[in-house]
Order: sequence, then structure tokens, then C-alpha cells
Amino acid sequence: MSGIIPTVPHEALRGVYFDAQSAVAQDVRLVVDSGAQQLVLRGEAVDVAWRFEDIRLVPDQAGQGGLVLRSASDPEARLLTAHRELAEAFPARRRRVIGVERGRIACWALAAVASVALIVFVLVPTMANQLARFIPPEGEKALGDATLTQIRGALGDNSQSGIRLCTGHEGTKAFAALATKLSANVALPVPVTVTVLDHRMVNAFALPGGHIVFMRGLLEAADRPEEVAAVFAHEMGHVASRDPTRHALRSAGSIGVLGLLFGDFAGGALVLFLTEQLIEAQYSQGAESDADVFAYEVLAEAGIPPSALGSMFERFKATSGAAKGITAHFLSHPSLAERIEAARAATPEGFVAKPILSDAQWSALKAICGPSR
Amino acid sequence: MSELPEAGPWHRRDTDAIPTRYRHANPEPLDGDFVGDRGRVFGLAVRTGILTVLTLGIYRFWMKTRLRRFYWSAVRFGGVPAEYLGDPLEKLLGFLFAVVILAFYIGVVNLVLMFLSFSLFQDNFAAYLLSFVGVVPLWFYARYRARRYVLARTRWRGIRFGLEPGAWGYAWRAIGYWFLTIISAGLLWPLMTFQLEKYRTNRTWYGDCQLTQEGRWTLLFPALRHVLLAVLIAVGSVFVGLNGTPLAFGVTALCVPWFAYGLAYYRAKSFERLTNGKRAGDVVFLSKPRPMRVFGIYGFGLALSGFVASFFLVPLGLALVAVLGAMLGFEDEAAMSFDLMTSGSLTVIGILSYFTFFLSWAALTHTFVTLPLWAHFTETLTVVDPGSLEAIRQRPRDEFDEAEGFAEALDVGAGI
Repeated sequence: MSGIIPTVPHEALRGVYFDAQSAVAQDVRLVVDSGAQQLVLRGEAVDVAWRFEDIRLVPDQAGQGGLVLRSASDPEARLLTAHRELAEAFPARRRRVIGVERGRIACWALAAVASVALIVFVLVPTMANQLARFIPPEGEKALGDATLTQIRGALGDNSQSGIRLCTGHEGTKAFAALATKLSANVALPVPVTVTVLDHRMVNAFALPGGHIVFMRGLLEAADRPEEVAAVFAHEMGHVASRDPTRHALRSAGSIGVLGLLFGDFAGGALVLFLTEQLIEAQYSQGAESDADVFAYEVLAEAGIPPSALGSMFERFKATSGAAKGITAHFLSHPSLAERIEAARAATPEGFVAKPILSDAQWSALKAICGPSR
Repeated sequence: MSELPEAGPWHRRDTDAIPTRYRHANPEPLDGDFVGDRGRVFGLAVRTGILTVLTLGIYRFWMKTRLRRFYWSAVRFGGVPAEYLGDPLEKLLGFLFAVVILAFYIGVVNLVLMFLSFSLFQDNFAAYLLSFVGVVPLWFYARYRARRYVLARTRWRGIRFGLEPGAWGYAWRAIGYWFLTIISAGLLWPLMTFQLEKYRTNRTWYGDCQLTQEGRWTLLFPALRHVLLAVLIAVGSVFVGLNGTPLAFGVTALCVPWFAYGLAYYRAKSFERLTNGKRAGDVVFLSKPRPMRVFGIYGFGLALSGFVASFFLVPLGLALVAVLGAMLGFEDEAAMSFDLMTSGSLTVIGILSYFTFFLSWAALTHTFVTLPLWAHFTETLTVVDPGSLEAIRQRPRDEFDEAEGFAEALDVGAGI
């Protein structure tokens, strides 16, 4: 049918035709009419003409011995034929037959994205904020305990109970002394519980129910007790505003929704992780600045210059490098340089500092995880 | 356990008793045939799988549609292939629709459950339990709806299949029969299989012809025999072994592959007996799958797929070892020199190996499990009496905008 050899009209070929009205298989003769550019199907009760440009191959067919054809002019009917060479004559054979209106898809896509965004970014956070105020203290404590166990399990690679807690006797007493001095003039919704984890990460965080968790790396990196006190005060700020409770409730809601959206195959887990980080970071920006401001007051009351927070940030900066742009977003803290500057500015001129821990207490605190390595 | 005649109800059925105006004097059976080949399904699964990964999962609607078109077109009775007419965009639309509803349910309900669970019980177990229990009916609902969509988009000889609405009825029944199966320690499993199949079959149409499931649930009981015997003998041998005859544990070990064979046997035999008890007007079927062949396909296919796919996990494992080694083994100096570049490239290697593992697993199970199973069940199935097949007329199109969105969103594994 390539056009070099002139095709004789009425050349007889055979096929089976289904009219999509009854289940009868109708034997038809196929006539390739090159002049009129159409394929004529003739059988006992069939007389149909399909224009060449309307004829499509039904895609992804397993059988390679023949052709399954349809026509754009009559999308339901089918023609089965063993003459594969016929396909050459149909120029649009690989074109799609459009089923669903594109406009409706776009509408639904927009509606779905909008409603998911509304749920994840507005509804769930609002509800989490409201509910966080009503959760009873014991419930909040349990939520914090559960989260701490999860974190210990995630950080401890093989061990059954997760990463080790540091419970050096003298160190614990020194920490208690520090906590007492700092919280002397502050009213917190729940009493504070301090935990030290045996991990080299330079980090500290707050969990629901008044948990404040330090990593060994932070204690080792700190030069003076005032720097540890500054971080402590910052985390107290989170406890005061119940940020961790809100966050825990909120992720209970939003993680499921995002998992739903991306599905499990194709590494939904990865996308999920990144997205969750993004949400958390956005949530934290404001909360972090508030916790900083809270810390300035607590520190000043305890006789520690708020700039101590700044010098602790200097150490973060030295260990992780100043993060900028998208990385800064993922680190979930406003730019460190800005916060160092703010901490310096919060220290009044001629501030009189009082030592918070004795040298003996300070070395006990640093050795809370046992002999340093 | 008394044994029924080997070929099941077919031999006992008096086909001449089925009234028909169109009875052929000598019915010409339409033999089942499967023409799909492994190379093509492997290629199709790999190509569509890669596109799915590259599009963050959006292409999966196209992937499923294309694979279904392939499988459906490979199934032939009397030489005429079936056809799948689903539109990927329709599936995407249904998915978006389900997401809107489920996002609300999962986000808000989980949040409230978590709050209540911690407030009232100081624990999250209640929340996880209730959240799971809440999804169970939805899961069966989604399965029925998915089946309705797939049947509505399936044609053979130009005539559409169809499934009547009834998803909630199905969900409650499924939960009830599952409950009975669990409390009877699996003895009532055939009851569940039969009743759910009957519910679905009696609501299935081919054109203007309604299908019916005949027979009783006890019909499936013999199909369970290998599962039951393997469990009984395993329990008995453990008992004997504990009472001072350690050799008996050898018998227990043999019961494990026997139990696996029992599952394949149940799959094959229950399909056979249910299919032979189905009728579409006066059209009747005869199925004779071989349990040993089904067992062989599962055993060989899964073992081979797992073995080959696990090679792709090796780079991921090495990357993890490297990261852990840097973090634990050489704590300080090495950790400092373990810069962002190395960790970045290790992450990329890890992600690539994770994806290739899933891709190769999916493609290999299509090639060595799904396709051979389809081939075997199709080739051993015959429409023994086409009856008045030619008198069947077309049914109206079931628009069903929601498609199988819920099944897609809840990840209800419905084969393909």
C-alpha cells in the first residue's frame, strides 16, 4: 500500500467486525479504496466506510499476529484483521482518541491541590493550636514520652532501647541547679524535665510535656556554662508556648495526608520527608524568634547576658557552616547571623553578669556522659 | 473430609436443564488462549515504571492503564481478544476526587484521634487502632468500587461488562465474613470466599446478561484441605517434639512448604469451583487449573524476582555502611573530613538503588508471576457452551467519574 504499486480497488481482504451493539462476530470483506482514501467493510449486515485519517490502532496490544482497529468517527466499533500490512495506509494510526475533557481534569486538579493545601496549611495547624491548649498535662507528658522514645530509637542504630541516656550523678545535680536558677522567675505550663542523649550531634530540642533534650555534642562544644544556659532558656521558650505539642499533633494530621497524595511506590517516603521538613521549617521560623526573645528575658533575670545565646550560635555556625537559601529553610532556623546580631542587641549596656555554675559544677555537667572521648 | 468428584460441579450439572431459545445442537466451545509474551510485559513494566519514578508517581495512572490494555488484549476466547478501555486521565481525576475527601478524613480525624487518645489514655495506641479500624470499611468499599470501574471499562466482542452499585453492602459483608474467618481460626475461610464472590458475581453483567453464581459454600471446603492438614500436622509434630522426640521437628519443617502449596492449591481449586458454578444466561464455563503449576509459578517467580531485585539493594547497603562507618567508626577527625560532597553522592546512590530495587521487583513479578498466572488460568478456562452469546446486547456506558480513585489513594492492592 506504499503508493509505488498502484492498488487495485476492490482488493479482497478479510476481517471480523464488532458493531458494539451485539456480541455477534460479523465476518467482513475489507476493501482498500485508495482513491476515496477509505477502508470499506462489507458483510452480511455490515456496510461501513472508515476514512484512512480516522483509523487508529488500539494501543498496547499483546497479540502481534494481526491488527485491532478503531475509527475516530465510530469510537465503539472494532475491526480485527490478520493483515498487518494494512496499517501502512493509515497516516494517523498512532494518534490518541480523546476520552476525558481536559478542562474538567484541570478543575479537579486545582480543587484537589487547593483543598489539600487548605487542610495541611490551615485546618490542621489551626486545630492543632486549639487542641494543644486543651490537652491535659498527663496526656501531654505521655505524648512527649512517646516522641522521646521514637527519637531515641531513630538515633540509636542497632540497640534495642535506642540511644543511651546520660545520667552521671554529679552532672545531673549540676543540670538541676542550672534549671532551678533559670526557672526561678518564670511560670511554665508544665514542669521541665531535662534529658541528655549520648550522641555527638551539636543540638538541643524541646518535646511535649516539658521535655528539654540536650545532645552530648552540644555540651562538649560549649565553652562556658552560660552558653548551655542560653540554649536551655531558648528551649524553655518553646515549652512556654507549647510549640512541641502543637507540632506533634500537627504532624499526626499532616503526615497521613501527604502520604496519601504521593503514594508509596516511587519513594513516597522521600518526598514525604522533604515536604514535612518544609512545613516544619516554616512553622519554626516565627516560633524560633519568639523563643529567642523569651530566652533574653529569662537569661537577664538569672544574671546571664543574652549575648551568650549569640556565642552558642557562633559554635553552630562553626560546625555546620552558615546555611543560606534553601538549606537554611531546611535547617528550620532563621539565619544564624541575624540571631547572633539580635542576641547582642538584646544585651543592655553595662550589664552585670553573675556566674551561674561553679567550675566544679561545670566540669561535672560536661562529664555527664562519662569520661570525654 | 469427603472428596467431591474431581472436576467439580461441572459434571454434576445438567446443562440441558438450562432453558434456552438459542440452544445449539452441538455447542462449539470457545477455548481460552493467552498470547502475551514475557519480554514485552517486562519492557512495558520497566519503561512505564521509570516514567512513574521520574514524574514523582503521576505517570502511575498511565502505567496501570497501559499494562491493563496489554493483559486484557492477551486474553482470548474463541480467538477474540478482550479490551481494556480505561482512560488514564479519568483515573487521575478519580484519584484527585478521592484525595479531596480522604485528605479531610485522614488529616482531621487522625489529629482528633491523637488528641483524644493522649488526653484520655495517655497513649497513642488507641489512636492508631481507631484510625486503622476506621479505614477498614473504606478499604473494602474501595475494592468494590475499583472492580466496578474495571468491569465497566472491559469489553469483549464489543460488549461491555458492568457491576451494579453496592459497595457499602460489600464492605459490611466483607467485614462480617472476615470476622467469622478469624474467630473460626480460618475454618470459615471458604464461606467468606464463596459469599463475597457470589455477591460480586450476582451483580456482574455482560451486556444485558446478568451473571449468577451457583452452588454452596461447602463446595470450596475440599479446596482448603492442604492448608488444614499442613497446620494440623505441624501443630501435632511440635507437640510430639516438645514431649521428647526432637526428630518430630523435621516434620514441622516440612509442613512449611506444604502449607505454601496448600495456599496455591486453595487459589487454584477455589477459582476452578467458583468458575464452574458461574453462568451468564445459558453460557457456561469449565476451568481446570493445575494447583502444582500455580504453586510452581508463585515459588519460582517470587524467588527469582526477589533474588535478582535484591542485587539492586547492594549499593544502598554499601552507602549505608559508609555513612555509619563515618559516623561511628572514626568519630572525630574522619567525621569532619566526611564532607557534604561525599554524603551527597552517597545519598544519590542510595536513592537510585532504592528506586531500581522497586522498579526491578515490579517488572520481574509482572514477568514471572502475574503474566504466567494469567496465562495458566486463561489457557485452562473454556467457555464450554457459548449458548445464546450472540443474542447478548450492549449495556449503557457506566460513566463513573470517580473511577478507582479511592483504591488508588488507599493503595488497595488489586493485582494490576
